[in-house]
Amino acid sequence: MIRKVLIANRGEIAIRIGHTLREMEIETVAVFTDPDEHSLHVPAADAACHIESYLDAREIVRAAKEYGADAIHPGYGFLSESPSLSEECEKAGIIFIGPRPDTIRSMGDKLESKRVMQAAGVPVVPTWDGNPPASAYPVLVKAVGGGGGKGMRLVEKAEDLAEAMASASREASKAFNDSRVFVEKYIRRPRHIEFQILGDSHGNHIHVFERECSIQRRHQKIIEETPSTAMTLKLREEMGAAAVAAAKAVDYRGAGTVEFILDPIGSFYFLEMNTRLQVEHPVTEMTTGLDLVREQVLIAEGQRLLYRQADLHPVGHSMECRIYAEVPEENFRPSTGTIEIFEAPAGPGVRLDSGVGKNSVVSYHFDPLLAKLIVWASSREAAIDRMKRALADFVLLGVRNNIEFLHRVISDPEFSSGKIDTGFLDRHPELFTVSTDVPVEALLVASLGGEKTVSGAHIPDVWTSGFWRNS
Amino acid sequence: MTSRSHGTFHASGRSIPFRLLEPNLIEIDGKRYRFYVLHNRNEHIVWLNGHTYHLPRAEKGALSHAAAAPASGEITALMPGKILRIEVNAGDTVVEKQTVAIMESMKMESALHAPRAGRVAAIHCQQGQVVEMGELLIVID
Repeated sequence: MIRKVLIANRGEIAIRIGHTLREMEIETVAVFTDPDEHSLHVPAADAACHIESYLDAREIVRAAKEYGADAIHPGYGFLSESPSLSEECEKAGIIFIGPRPDTIRSMGDKLESKRVMQAAGVPVVPTWDGNPPASAYPVLVKAVGGGGGKGMRLVEKAEDLAEAMASASREASKAFNDSRVFVEKYIRRPRHIEFQILGDSHGNHIHVFERECSIQRRHQKIIEETPSTAMTLKLREEMGAAAVAAAKAVDYRGAGTVEFILDPIGSFYFLEMNTRLQVEHPVTEMTTGLDLVREQVLIAEGQRLLYRQADLHPVGHSMECRIYAEVPEENFRPSTGTIEIFEAPAGPGVRLDSGVGKNSVVSYHFDPLLAKLIVWASSREAAIDRMKRALADFVLLGVRNNIEFLHRVISDPEFSSGKIDTGFLDRHPELFTVSTDVPVEALLVASLGGEKTVSGAHIPDVWTSGFWRNS
Repeated sequence: MTSRSHGTFHASGRSIPFRLLEPNLIEIDGKRYRFYVLHNRNEHIVWLNGHTYHLPRAEKGALSHAAAAPASGEITALMPGKILRIEVNAGDTVVEKQTVAIMESMKMESALHAPRAGRVAAIHCQQGQVVEMGELLIVID
């Protein structure tokens, strides 16, 4: 039995993991670096330990020992997909809530993972080390150690390949300390569809259905949902079986995700396996009732899966919007500052996984993900209505963010039709422009609130000293 | 609640009645709005029924000029615009906050008020005149 867990992460995911651990009556230890001294995940835990870096596996394992934690949960990002933390845990006799180091290592290498999956009969995107045949174009150059669009190039013609590989390699070297790149067939208008998987240490593997993650900006997901509008019962069965085959191929232990791309005619290809909890895991929890962190803990304790495939029946529709500290209207410029006003949406079927609140300081130190707004409703149409309402209710002022942009995206007729793919945002430049007209009602309320200045000093100016008269 | 809890807002030739119902709820022309306002150094941020607007503040020079005006008794243009009406004559006695002129900037009407009680010493503008930001308009002795 696990009694005390060190959560080796920050922000919304550290808080979300803590929620489940407290429900399981497991004690929690937070870690924090200097810029996070006042962050919300610190007081949310039973104890907190200052560290120099979220990326130093040895330091984190030392902290776990010092605080008497018998397990470490890596969250996502940081060390979650580095074999080093899993390895250091094994050495120190601490339970790593995640897969074995060898699984993380083989799935973290994009070429190796494809070889493993191909051998297991899982369809993979045609891939070449160097020179693809002329018939293969267009192709994508990708980084072996990469992700998030870094070190990636689209190449239309064979004569452009050498230069694209060289520049992708330079970028990959900087981003991942691994300059290796490879070439992959480029699939037009693909959807990004992933399957949640669970595996225990007794050889049982199931999938927990799909998540549609096609709405992306610069290869970063911003809206995810389940079920996918592309899915038929037959396709779900085929892709689900492939996902389970992928899990079995590496005897996967824990919660993981098998990512596929799906082309417009229904062919799907293995893309990669994420050996951790995904950012978008809540939509799966909303439609299945599972708590994936709880499942992770039970698996790490060595327990058998509580469910067989036939036991799982998803209900309704769930959608997640990622609230980022960035300005989509200004080329996704990241923004920083202090959150002065934070009024969270609520109501039936609304879940907010947030790492910030009123007075939180958002700095350049970390990922710009502030919170995830998740809704559940009986149908996709009702889920969109609910998400629009929840976004419109969400007041987050002091740090520029993408809340209104997300509202525009889900209000788009093509989005509501469900005919989406990863090129959706590129086809809709109008979603990035916003009218600069200020309605008179906004000027009126601006003129009312002169006493609430941020600095505490009242400076009379055009809005506060003019424009209104008592009648 | 302050005296600003209800009133009439004059803009674009319209007179718009409003009533502040709660700290973050206002009725404007019969319709209710949830709102939040944040004033920072460079802009006013207004959240109104799910939309956020960024209103730039006036130039620094104008701010300091405006802030200095009450002490000096000088009334200056806070924004470039047009003088629509002058409501006092030289020599008139005015009370503090009395409306002395109406000007229009960015299609918005705004009232200029006497910074303090006194006598209108000089009027440096006339009806219909286009004025620059910071331009001296009226002096109260």
